[in-house]
Amino acid sequence: MSKVSFTVNGQKVSVDIEERALLADVLRDNLQLTGTHIGCDTSQCGCCTVRLNGSAVKSCTMLAVQADEAEITTIEGLADNERLHPVQLAFSACHGLQCGFCTPGMIMATVELLERFPDPTDEQIREGLSGNLCRCTGYVNIEASVRAAATAMRVASPAAGVVEGGRGRR
Amino acid sequence: MMELMRHEDHRLITGSGKFTADWNLAGQLHASVVRSVHAHARVLSVNTDAAEKAKGVVAVLTAADVTAARYGQIPSGPEIQGVDGCVISKGSMPLLAIDRVRFVGQAVAMVIADSASAAHDAAELVDVVYEVLPAVSSVEQATADNAVQLHPTIPGNVSLTFENGDREAVDKAFASASRTSTLSIQSQRLYGAPMEPKAILATHDASRNVTVVYTPTQGMLGMRASLAAITGLTTTDLEVVAEDVGGSFGLRGGPGVEHGLLVLATRRLGRPVKWVSSRSELFAAEWHGRALKLTGSLALDADDRISAIRFDDHADLGAYNCYFGGFIATNNLSVTMGGAYDVPALYMRSTLAVTNTSPVSAYRGAGRPDIAFAIERLIDHAASEHGLDPVAFRRANFIRADQFPYTTANGTEYDCGDFNAVFDKALDAAVYNEFPERRAKSEARGRLRGIGIGYYVEKSGAGGAPKDEVSCQFDSDGGLLLHAVSGPSGQGHETAYAQIVGDGLGIPAAQIRYRAGAPDQRLVGNGTGGSRSLYGTGSAFKNLVDVVIAKAAPLAARHLNVEPGDVAFSNGRFIGRNGAKGVDLIELAKKHYIDSQTAHPLDSSAETVTGANYPNGCHIAEVELDLETGEIDVPVYTAVDDLGNVISAELVRGQVHGGVVQGAGQAFGEAVIYDDSGQLLSGSFMDYAMPRAGALDKVVSDTHAVPTALNELGSKGVGESGCSGSLPALSNAVMDVLRSAGVPPMDMPYSSHRVWQHVRKEKR
Ligand code: FES
Ligand code: FES
Repeated sequence: MSKVSFTVNGQKVSVDIEERALLADVLRDNLQLTGTHIGCDTSQCGCCTVRLNGSAVKSCTMLAVQADEAEITTIEGLADNERLHPVQLAFSACHGLQCGFCTPGMIMATVELLERFPDPTDEQIREGLSGNLCRCTGYVNIEASVRAAATAMRVASPAAGVVEGGRGRR
Repeated sequence: MMELMRHEDHRLITGSGKFTADWNLAGQLHASVVRSVHAHARVLSVNTDAAEKAKGVVAVLTAADVTAARYGQIPSGPEIQGVDGCVISKGSMPLLAIDRVRFVGQAVAMVIADSASAAHDAAELVDVVYEVLPAVSSVEQATADNAVQLHPTIPGNVSLTFENGDREAVDKAFASASRTSTLSIQSQRLYGAPMEPKAILATHDASRNVTVVYTPTQGMLGMRASLAAITGLTTTDLEVVAEDVGGSFGLRGGPGVEHGLLVLATRRLGRPVKWVSSRSELFAAEWHGRALKLTGSLALDADDRISAIRFDDHADLGAYNCYFGGFIATNNLSVTMGGAYDVPALYMRSTLAVTNTSPVSAYRGAGRPDIAFAIERLIDHAASEHGLDPVAFRRANFIRADQFPYTTANGTEYDCGDFNAVFDKALDAAVYNEFPERRAKSEARGRLRGIGIGYYVEKSGAGGAPKDEVSCQFDSDGGLLLHAVSGPSGQGHETAYAQIVGDGLGIPAAQIRYRAGAPDQRLVGNGTGGSRSLYGTGSAFKNLVDVVIAKAAPLAARHLNVEPGDVAFSNGRFIGRNGAKGVDLIELAKKHYIDSQTAHPLDSSAETVTGANYPNGCHIAEVELDLETGEIDVPVYTAVDDLGNVISAELVRGQVHGGVVQGAGQAFGEAVIYDDSGQLLSGSFMDYAMPRAGALDKVVSDTHAVPTALNELGSKGVGESGCSGSLPALSNAVMDVLRSAGVPPMDMPYSSHRVWQHVRKEKR
C-alpha cells in the first residue's frame, strides 16, 4: 500500500492505495467520483478522461501513484457551483449525448480541445476527439456541441477576438 | 442562450448519473469469471483448491454448484418451425460449462472475493484441464462432411433449415424470366459494444425475501422473467434495477450467465456481490450480432418488372441457441424480403448452423438491416448488370401509394406508405441529378466519386407483451410522475413521454418525471426493443391524457359551478360552456392533492395494444475513393425517412444519426474475426475498428410522414432504421466507385486496407 495525495476538484485528498491501482479506479472507488467512467481496458474509449495539471488524460492509463501531488479535475468539478460549464450546456443543447456514458469523457476532452483551439476547424475537432468513442450519437451532434461551445466561450471572453455570433465551423 | 434539451441530461453532463458500476452496497463481494481459452474442448477437471485458499477469496463456483442449485440454462429462443414440419433443434448454454466448452470466452468458473483485485488474482489460480477438440468457426466448416459435432442434439451442426414463401411460384417465374441477377452478400459478425460494459450488482434482501439485481438492461421485466426462468425463482422473488443504462442495442435484453451466477452467489453467501466486466471479456463472451450470408436472385420480365426474388441464407448462430439467434435468420429476414417492391413471387430458404464462436443474438435491427442491405444491393447489382438506371428501375417496381394496404407475396401486410414521395424528397435533398458535376470535381482533385441509394422497409417490433400499460401519480405542485415498463438506454424516454403528456394536459414538461419498471406499479408492457417504445408506450401515454382529462372534468365542473356536461378542455384549461370562467388542470391537481400517502384523485392508468408498423426511407450516400491508399470518405449522406408522425424532431434525428453511423461502422471497419481454430483475433477496441468522430463528413436528415393508423400517435419505429438505410446506401456507393475504378464488388468492411488489397488484386 502507498499513500498518495492530490488535489481533486479543488480539494486536497490523501488516500491509501495498492501501488497497482489505476487513477480511474481510485477516483471511482476511493473518492466516489463515479462520473469518470471506464469503458475499456485498452486505453481506447476515452470514457475515463479527466484533466491532470491541465492536460486531458485517460485516467485508466495511469497509475494513481503517478498522479501524486497533481491537480485533477473530473466531470464533477467542471461546473462552477450551480453554473454549468458552456461545454456541458452545449452537449445538452445540441443533443450531443444519448445514453450519456461517453459524455463525461467527451466533455473533459472538449474542454481541453477548446483551450488549445478556441475556434477549432472540423479537422481539429475530429483530431481532438479521436481518442473518445461514442456508440449512440454517430458523433454528428457531438461535433455540433463542440462548435456551439466554442462560439459561446469566445463570446463570453472576447479576448479571443471573435465577433459575436461567429461560427466555429470553417 | 443555450438550454438543456432533455430531462435526463443534467445528471449525465455533471457526472451524477447512476450506471450499474456506480452502485456499491455495504459489505459487497466481487466476482471474476474464469473463461475458456479454447474454442472447443472437453473439460476434464476444474481444480479450485488454490483459488479457494487465496487471500480474500470467499467462494469459487463451478458447474457442480449450478447443478446443485438446480438452476437452468440461458433461454434458447422460440420453437421455430422449419422445412417439412421439423422444429429447431437446440443446444442451450449452461451458466458454467459442464463437461465441454464450445467457444473462447465461455464461462467455466466464478471466483468471489472481498475485493475485485483479489477475485481477479484468484481466478488465475483456477486450474482447468482441457482436452482440446477440433473446432469449426464458420458455417462452411460446420456443415462440411465429417465436421466435428458441437451438440448431440444438433445433428450435422444444422439447428434448422427454414423456408418461407412459395418456392414453386418463384421457380416458375425464374424459368420464364427474360433476365436474372444473382448476388451474395456477407453481413459480417459484429460486436454491438454499448459503451457501458456489462455489470451486475446482486443483493438478497432477506427481510423481504427478494433478490435485487442492478444491471444495464433494455427491459427490466424481460430481464426479470428470463432470470426467473433460469434460477427457478418466481418473478416476485426478483427485482431488476436499471437507472442509467449506457446503451443496449439489442444486446441487453435478457440475462447472461453472469446474472444467474450472481443471484446464486448472493443468495448463498448472504452478501451483495458485484461483477464489472472488462471490455476484453465482452468482446469474447457477450452476444455477437449479424453473422449472415445472404444469396439473392431476382427475375425480370420483358418489361424489367421484378417477377420473383429468391434468397438462400446462411446464419451462424455461434455455439449455442440463445434468445433471438434463431428468430433473426427466419422471421426477421423473411418478413420484408420483398423490400419496397411489388414482387409477385418470393421465396427464402435459411440454414442456421452452430459453430465454435460466441452465441449470436440481436444487434440493432436484428436481421432487418441485413435483408434491406441484401435486397438493395441486389437491385443495384441487377441494374448495373442489365444497364438499367437505378432510380428508374426502383420507381418502376415500387409498391405504389394507391396499393396500400399491401400484402406481400409472402403474406406481410404493409399498412401504409408512399415510397415515391419519400424517394423524390430524398433525391431532391441529395441533389441527385447534379451528381455528375460533383463526380467531375472530385476527379479533378484526384479522387473517384460514387453514389448509392438504399430504400429500406422494415417491420418494427410488435413486442412480446400483450399490451403496454402506463400510469401516473400527481404530486403536490401539480407535477407528475409517469410510470411504464419500457426502460431507456439513451433514447430519451423521459423527455419524449413528458412531452406527450405535458402537451396533452398543459403541464410544463419540466414538471413531469418518468420512471421505468417500478415494481410497486405492477404494470404489463414491453421493454425497449424493435424500435417500439415511442409508438407503443408513447401511445399508451396519449391515452392516459384522455383518462386524466375525463377524471378531471367532473372536478372542474364542480369548481366552476356548472353541470358536468358543460365543461370543455383545451390547452390545459377547462372552460365552462357558458364561457364565463375556466380553471387550469394543473390548478385542479394542486387543489386536490392530499399527501404523499394518499392517492390523488387524478392518478390514472391507461394502456394500448399496438402491433408492428413499417418504417421506410431512402438513404443516399456519396463516397470518395483515393485509389492510392484505398481510403474511402463519405462527404455527404442524406436520409429521408417515413417514420409516421414525429413527436420530437431532435430525438428522431439523434436516432437516425446513431443508426446510420452504426451502419457505417459495419461498412467501413467493424468485424469480429475468428481464425480457423476458433481463436478470437479481434479481441479489443485495438483490433475492432469502431467509428470515430468524423465517420461521416456531413449528414442531412429529414422525414416525410405517412402516419400509420395502427397506433394512437400515428408514429412508426425509428431506432433501427438508420442501420437499415445506411448498410445498402453506403455499400451501393462503394460499389459504384469501385465500378468506376473498373473493379468488381467486394464484401464489407470497406476498410482502406481491404479496399487497397481488393483494387490491387483486381487491377493486376
Ligand atoms: S476506460 Fe477506455 S480509455 Fe480509459
Ligand atoms: S451517448 Fe451513449 S456512448 Fe455516447
